[in-house]
Amino acid sequence: MKKYELVFIIKPMEEEALQAVIAKFEAMVTNNGGTMEKIDRWGKRRLAYLVKDFTEGYYCIFRFTGTPATVAELNRVMKITDDILRHMIVKEDE
Amino acid sequence: MRREKGRRPRKKVCSFCVDKIESINYKEIGRLQRYVSERGKILPRRISGNCAKHQRQVTLAVKRARSIALLPFTTE
Repeated sequence: MKKYELVFIIKPMEEEALQAVIAKFEAMVTNNGGTMEKIDRWGKRRLAYLVKDFTEGYYCIFRFTGTPATVAELNRVMKITDDILRHMIVKEDE
Repeated sequence: MRREKGRRPRKKVCSFCVDKIESINYKEIGRLQRYVSERGKILPRRISGNCAKHQRQVTLAVKRARSIALLPFTTE
């Protein structure tokens, strides 16, 4: 089990829709043999450059422990979800 | 060839070593922005004055920040 950090940017949408997306991925972490540690919401931020023609995005950060399989599955689903503008999973240092 | 006269540039010290920072995180954009030029390029060591260890960390952190649209790849 390793510690990972997942950062993703969601399209700007209504609060409830955002909530649903975050909850969905939170469930995905636990269902794939991972444990959530912390959810950090940065909220809406201006993007440094245009991503899929959006100038703003909602940043959210998950810290979790999991296996490589958890990461692979998250990566796969994140890529095919249209509401996610960008995502990145990194191994946590410290 | 003779060396040009003038003041020798002051030896720069790594600001991360001074602040005793062990690891540089890609989320601290405020800090990272100081090591990026106006056009968004990473400043070389001879200008930033970082030590090799911290310069490597800065590079990685800036690249990560770029990939999630926290820092620009290029401006203009």
